[in-house]
Amino acid sequence: MTGTRVGSEVERDVLGAIRRPGWRWLLGLAVSGLLAVLLHVLWGALIVRGLGLTGLNNPVGWAVLITNFVFWVGIAHSGTLISAVLFLFRARFRTSFNRSAEAMTVFAILVAGMFPLIHLGRVWVFYFLLPYPIERLIWPNFRSPLPWDVFAVTTYLIVSVVFFYVGMIPDLALARRHLPGLRGRIYAVLSLGWQGTGEQWRHYARLYLFLAAFATPLVASVHSIVSWDFAVSIVPGWHTTIFAPYFVAGAILSGTAMVLTLSIPMRRWLGLEAHMPIDHYEGIAKILLFTSLLVGYTYVVEQGLSLYGPSPFERDQYAFRAFGPYRGLFWLMVVCNAILPLTLFLRRARRSLPWLFVLGILVNVGMWTERFVLIVASLSHDFDPYAWGTYSPTRYEIGITAGSFGLFFLFFLLFSRLLPVIAITESKQALADRAGEEGTP
Amino acid sequence: MTRLEFDGREEFLARLRALVEAGTPPERIRLQMPFEVAEAAEILGERPGAVRFFALAGALAGFGTGLALTIYSVVSFPLRVGGKPIVSLPPFLLIGYLLTILFGSLGAFAGFLLLARMPSPRGLAADAELADRFVIVVEGEEGR
Amino acid sequence: MMDRRTFLHTLGLLTGGSALSACTPGKDRRHLVSALVPPEDGVVPGQSVWHATTCTECPAGCGMQVRLREGRPVKAEGVPGHPVSGGGLCVRGQASLWRLYDPRRLRGPQVRDGGALRAATWDDALSRVASALAEARGAGRTGAYLSGRTTGALAALLAESAPALGLEWLPRFEPFSHAAIRRANGLLFGAPEVPRLDAARPDVLLTVGADLLETFVSPVGLAAQVVAGPAGRRWWHAEPHCSLTGANADRRLVLRAGSEPWLLAWLLARVAPSARRPLPPAVVAAMPRPSIAATAEATGVAVDALEALGAALAAAKEPLVVAGAIATAAEGGLAVAGLAALLQWTLGATGRTVDLARGEGYGDVGSLLDLRALGERLERGQVGVLFVARANPVRHAPAAWRLAGKLAGATLRVGLGDLMDETLREMDVVLPLSHPLETWEELAPRRGLRELLRPAAAPLGDTRAEGDVLLELRRRAGETVAPSYQERLMAGWRARYDDAALRAYSAAGWAEEPVSGPPVGLDAGAAAELLRGVRLSPPKPGLVLVLAPSIRSFDGRSRALQLLEEVPDPLTTVTYGPWISVAPGDARRLGVADGDELRVTLGGWSAELPAKLQPGLAEGVFVVQRDVLPSFPGGMDPATGEAICALPGPGLERTGRGGRMPYLSGSPSQQGRGLIPEPIHRKETAKRASLYPEHPHPEHRWTMAIDVSRCIGCGACAASCYVENDVPVTGAREHRLGREMSWLRIEPFYDAAGGVDFLPILCQQCHAAPCEPVCPVYAAYHNPEGLNVQVYNRCIGTRYCSNNCPYKVRRFNWFDPVREAPLDLLHNPDLSARGRGIMEKCTFCVQRITAARDRAKDEGRAVRDGEVVPACAQSCPTTAIVFGDLNDAGSRIAALVKAPGSWRVFEELGTEPSVHYHRGGGEGER
Repeated sequence: MTGTRVGSEVERDVLGAIRRPGWRWLLGLAVSGLLAVLLHVLWGALIVRGLGLTGLNNPVGWAVLITNFVFWVGIAHSGTLISAVLFLFRARFRTSFNRSAEAMTVFAILVAGMFPLIHLGRVWVFYFLLPYPIERLIWPNFRSPLPWDVFAVTTYLIVSVVFFYVGMIPDLALARRHLPGLRGRIYAVLSLGWQGTGEQWRHYARLYLFLAAFATPLVASVHSIVSWDFAVSIVPGWHTTIFAPYFVAGAILSGTAMVLTLSIPMRRWLGLEAHMPIDHYEGIAKILLFTSLLVGYTYVVEQGLSLYGPSPFERDQYAFRAFGPYRGLFWLMVVCNAILPLTLFLRRARRSLPWLFVLGILVNVGMWTERFVLIVASLSHDFDPYAWGTYSPTRYEIGITAGSFGLFFLFFLLFSRLLPVIAITESKQALADRAGEEGTP
Repeated sequence: MTRLEFDGREEFLARLRALVEAGTPPERIRLQMPFEVAEAAEILGERPGAVRFFALAGALAGFGTGLALTIYSVVSFPLRVGGKPIVSLPPFLLIGYLLTILFGSLGAFAGFLLLARMPSPRGLAADAELADRFVIVVEGEEGR
Repeated sequence: MMDRRTFLHTLGLLTGGSALSACTPGKDRRHLVSALVPPEDGVVPGQSVWHATTCTECPAGCGMQVRLREGRPVKAEGVPGHPVSGGGLCVRGQASLWRLYDPRRLRGPQVRDGGALRAATWDDALSRVASALAEARGAGRTGAYLSGRTTGALAALLAESAPALGLEWLPRFEPFSHAAIRRANGLLFGAPEVPRLDAARPDVLLTVGADLLETFVSPVGLAAQVVAGPAGRRWWHAEPHCSLTGANADRRLVLRAGSEPWLLAWLLARVAPSARRPLPPAVVAAMPRPSIAATAEATGVAVDALEALGAALAAAKEPLVVAGAIATAAEGGLAVAGLAALLQWTLGATGRTVDLARGEGYGDVGSLLDLRALGERLERGQVGVLFVARANPVRHAPAAWRLAGKLAGATLRVGLGDLMDETLREMDVVLPLSHPLETWEELAPRRGLRELLRPAAAPLGDTRAEGDVLLELRRRAGETVAPSYQERLMAGWRARYDDAALRAYSAAGWAEEPVSGPPVGLDAGAAAELLRGVRLSPPKPGLVLVLAPSIRSFDGRSRALQLLEEVPDPLTTVTYGPWISVAPGDARRLGVADGDELRVTLGGWSAELPAKLQPGLAEGVFVVQRDVLPSFPGGMDPATGEAICALPGPGLERTGRGGRMPYLSGSPSQQGRGLIPEPIHRKETAKRASLYPEHPHPEHRWTMAIDVSRCIGCGACAASCYVENDVPVTGAREHRLGREMSWLRIEPFYDAAGGVDFLPILCQQCHAAPCEPVCPVYAAYHNPEGLNVQVYNRCIGTRYCSNNCPYKVRRFNWFDPVREAPLDLLHNPDLSARGRGIMEKCTFCVQRITAARDRAKDEGRAVRDGEVVPACAQSCPTTAIVFGDLNDAGSRIAALVKAPGSWRVFEELGTEPSVHYHRGGGEGER
C-alpha cells in the first residue's frame, strides 16, 4: 500500500460503477418501475372507489397495508444501526455497508410513509394529522399514537436524509472530479463546494458524531413508537409491554436481512468484491443471529406470559395464532425468524454468501408474516366472540404490496447507478488505519 | 507560501508535527485531506468546533417546541378523550423527545454549514482544489 | 251538524295529508312552503310532524306513527298504549317505509301484450278489465275476487262491489290462516274464530307450536304481554324445531314432529279430573288416555318433564295452553287444535285469557281448501275474470298443485299489488296499489277495533287505492258511486262520529267499540266426536324438514324488502339469502360446515340451500324458513285446509359447493367470557382505582339500561336504528365479507344445552372509551353529557378507534353509501351525511337528545325523565330498553343502574360503559 495513493482502487471501482449501466440494471429498472406505477394506479382506485376494494372488514380494520408500513419501517432500521450505532462502536465492517444501508433506510422510510396514507379512509384530508393552525382552532390529538407516528417517521426521515447526505458530501466531491460535464457539475453542487480542508474536516467530524448520537436513540425509539400503535391499544395480543424491544429487535433483524439481500447481488454486479470482504458479511451475520435470538426469545415470552397471565382474552388470542386459521403463517414466522437463523452459529454458514442471501430473503418473508399475524390475528379474535371474523387480502392489497417493493427497488437501482454505493472516503480511512496497524505491529 | 503534498498519511503527519514543533504558528497552516485524520487537529492544537453548541441549542429548542405545541393545543381547545386528563404529559414528552432529535440534528447540520462556510462558491468554482492527497499549505507572514 | 265541506276542512286540518293526497302524480309536486299554512297541512322546513296511522305489513294491525319531514315520511314508530301492539313496532313494521320507497315497487299499470307484460295507462288497463267483465257477464260466467285478509271499510266496499261487478268474493287467502284453530273452535263452541289471547295474566303458560313472538296472530302485542307476565310465571314451549319463541320460553320441550296430539291428550287426561271447569261425562268418556310412558316415548319428552308440566298446569291459578302455527299445520292438526281448545276450556282459560267473543276477526278467512276449490273451478273453465289482490297464492299453494298453470282457465286475470311476485307475474293486467301511507283507509283488524290509515305522502308512482279501482270499475259498469274512495270513507265517518269523536279518532288513529257476544258454551257431543277422532299413532321415524315461519318476512310478503334481509335472523344471524338450519350432530354426520350447500329433495321437489349450524336444534330435524323457498313443497291437511309444514323423509346430500355465507355471528357461544354473566357476579361495587380524576358531567349524563330478560331478540330495535340513523344497507356481498353497518345488533349466545340468551350490543358510550384517545384528529371524543361523540366531518378514516373498541360497534363506510331512488327520500335530515372512508356509530340518537334539550330550553324547563327516547327503545315491543339522565336522581334509569343485579359488559376492562344490563327489576313502561 505504501507509495501508492491510499484507496485509489476503491475510488476507481466505486465511481466507475456509476458509469456502466448493464442490461440487468435496465431490466430491473423496468420491472420495478412498472410495479411502482401499479402501486399508484391501485392507490388511485382505492381513493376513488373506497377502501372496500381491500379485504378489510369489520373486526379487521388494519391488515396488509399496515403490515407493509411496519415492515418497511423495520427495513429502515438497520441503516441507522449500521451507520450510527456501529460508527459509535467503531465497528470496522461497517464501511462496506453503511452507504447502501443508509440509502436503504431513506428509501424504506419513503415507501413506509406511503402506507399510513394509503390506508386512510379519506386521504384527501390527511393534513388533519398535521399540527397547523386553522380557523376551527382544532389540533391533532397528541395522545393518539398516530400523531406520534407522524412525528417519529418524519423525524426519522429527515435525520436519515441528513445523515445519508452528510456522509456522502466528501464522496460527492470526489465524484465531481471523476465525471466531466453536466453530471460533474451536479455532483459539485451537491457537494456544496467541499474542499476537504482541515477546518471543514474538523467540523465535519463533530457533525458526524452528533448526527450519529442523535440517530442512535432513533433506532430504539422509532420502532418503539410504531410498536405503541399496537401496545397502547387494549386489543388482546397487542396490549403488551414487551412490544417496544420486540419490535426494535425485529426491525434490526429484518433490516440486516435486507442489507444482505441487497448488497450480495450488488457486490457481484458492480464488481465490488474486493471492497466488501467476506469478513464484513460475517459481522452482519452475527448481528442477524443476535437479533434473531432476541426475536425468538420474545416469541417464547409472549406465548408464555399469555399462558401464565390472568387474561382469558390473551390466552385465547395466542392459542388462536398458533392453532387458528392463521396457524400456517404463524409457524412460517417461527421457522424463518427464530429457527433458520440459528444456522449462523456455524462459521461456514456465516461465511457463505449464497446462504446469507437466501436467509436474508427468508427472514424478510418471516418478518412480514410476523407483522401480518400480529395485526390480523389479534383483530380477528378480540373480546366479543360475536364480532370475530377473518380476513384475506384482495388483489388490490397484493398489488400494492408488490408495488411497494417495486418502488423500493426502483429507488435502490437508481441509487446504485447515480451515487457512490460504498463510502469511499471512509474506506480509504479504514484502509489507511489497517495499513497503519500492519505497519506498526 | 509553501505547498507540500503527500501520498501517505504517516509522512503527512510526521511533516506536520515537524512543522509545528519548528514553531510555525498553527493558524498559518492550512490542510487538505482526502479523509479525516484526527491527529492533525491534535497536532495543531485545535479545540472541538462550535457544532456542539448548535446541536445543543437545536435540541433544547426542539424539546421546548414539542411541549409548548402539545400543551397549547389541548389548553386552547380542551376535549376529553378516554377519560384522560386534558394535559396528558407522557405522550406530550414523546413529541418533545422527537422534536429534540429533529431540531438537534438540523441545528448541528446548520451549524456545520455555517462553520465550514458551506456551500462555498469558491469550492464550487475551483475544480482541482480537492485532491486525493494530503496537502499542507503554510501561508506567508503577510497572509494572503 | 256540519256540512260536508266543513267536515272535510276539519278533517284536513286535523289529519293533514289531504293537501298531499290531492296532488296527483305527473303534476309538479313541489311542496307548499308557506308561513300561512299550518305545518300539519303544508311544510315548515326543519319541523317534524307525527301522523298516527296503522301498520299493514301483517294482518295484526299494530298502531304506527309516522314522522313527516318536508312532506315525506322518514320514520315509523309504535303508538304508545295502542290496543293491538301496546306501543312497539316490529322489524317488519319498520320496513313498511322501505316498502313505500322500494325502487322495485310497481309504478304504473301493466297489461299483457303478446306474452309479456308492458306498461300501460290506467285507462287502458281498466277498460280492458271493464270490457272483460262485461263480456263475462254476457257469457254468464261469474268472476272471482281473491284477496288477502280484508277488514273494515274496504271489506264493506268489496262485499258491495263484488256482486255489482259480477264477481264472487272468495274466502280470504292467508298463508297463516289458523284454519285448524278456527275449525276446532267452530266445532266445539260454535265460534269459528281465532280467539283473542291475554298472555300477560297466566302464571303457567304452555305454547305448543304457536310462535307468539314471531308470526302468531299479533306477535308484537303478544310479545309485550308475555314479558309482562306475573312474577314467577313459568312458560313452556313445545315444538319439533327451534324457534325464537321457543328460545325465549322458560323451558323448551323438543317434541318429535307430529307427536303434539300425544302431549296434549296426556295433559288433558292429566288435568281434567282436577280442573276448575269439569268436562261433561261424554267428553271424559271419549278422552284418549295415553300412559305417561307411551307419551314420553312418542314425544321424546322425558317423563319427569311431562310430570312437571302436568303438575304445574294442574296447580296453576291462571293456566293457559295455546296450540297453533307449526303444531296445527300438520295432519292431525284439528286434533291438536281441538285438544288445546278443550284444555283451555277445562283449565278455565276460555272466557278469561282466551276470548272467543272478541276474536281476531278471522271468520271470513278461508284456507287452502278454498284455494283448491278455486283451482278446480278454473280447470273446469267456470271462472270469468279472476282478480287477485294483495295475495300470492301461486307461491303458497302446494307446488304439486301447479296453480300457476290453472290460472289460465280464467277469461282475464287481474292482479292488484305493490311488488311483482309469483302471482302477479301470471296476470294479464297488473294494477299497482298505492302504499297504505299514500291512501285513506280504515281497518278493523279485530272485532271492536277500528283503525285509521291516512296518507302521509303523495303517491310516488302512478298508483291507486284498491277502493278507487273498485269504484272506477263500477262506474265504468254504469253504476253511480261515490266520486272517490276517500269521499266514501269520509261519508262513513260523518255518519258515525260527531266532531269531538272524530278529533279523538283522528289524533289516536284508532277507536274501540264495545263488543258483546254471548259467552260460548261447549258442545259436548261435538267434543266427544272430535276426541274419538284423535288418532294417537307413533310419529314416523327418520328425518323431518320443518318449514318455519319467519319473523323477518312473515309468510314471505316482506321478503322483497332489503332492510329485512339486512337485519339478521335472530337465531342464526343469517342475513341474506336462503339457508337450511342443521343440528350440529347432523352436520357432523353429513360432513357439512356453515355455508356448505345441501340438496334437499322431497318427492319431486328439490332445492339447493347452504347449511347453517343451529345449536339447540334436535338431531334429525332440518329447518327452512318457508318464506325463502321458491315454492311450497308441503301438502295440505284435508281436514282443515292447513298447509303441512313438518315434512317427513327429506333427502339431504352435499352438492360439494359452498363458500362464505352471509351470517354475522363470529361465535355462537360466549366462550366463557361472561358478556351475559351467569350467575351475575361481575358487578363491581368498589370504585375502580384510576390514576385520573373522575371527569365531570355537569348537566346530563345519558345512560341506557337494557333488560336482557325482556329482550326477545326480535330485531325491531336494529331495524328502527337503520331507519332513524340512515344506516347504510350494504347487501349480501358486503355481509359475506363481514361489513355490515348495523349500529345496534342483537347477539345470540347459546349455552351448552342449546338455550339462547340475547344481548343487544350498541355503542356503550364508555366514560373511559378506548376508541377516543387513539383517534389522531379528535373525531371521537367524550362530550360533557357523557356521550361518545363521533364527528363525521373530522374523521379521516384510520379505523384505529374500531380496532380498539372491545365491543366492535364502530362501523366504517367501505364505499359511498348509495340508495337507489326513490329510497334516497327515506333520509333523516337531522343527521350529518356520511361518505366513504368515515367511521360511524350509535350516539344514543343524539339528534333526539338535542331536539328534546332545545324543546325544554324553549319552554324554560328541565328535560323530563323519559322525554328522550332513542329509536331502539321506542320500537322495542317488550320495552327492554330504558334511557335517561343519570344525573336526575329520581329517574327510572338511576334506579335501574343502582339495582343489585345490573352489570356492564367487559366491566373488567375499565371502560366504564354507559349501557347497563340487568335481568328484570324495572317494570316495562312507555
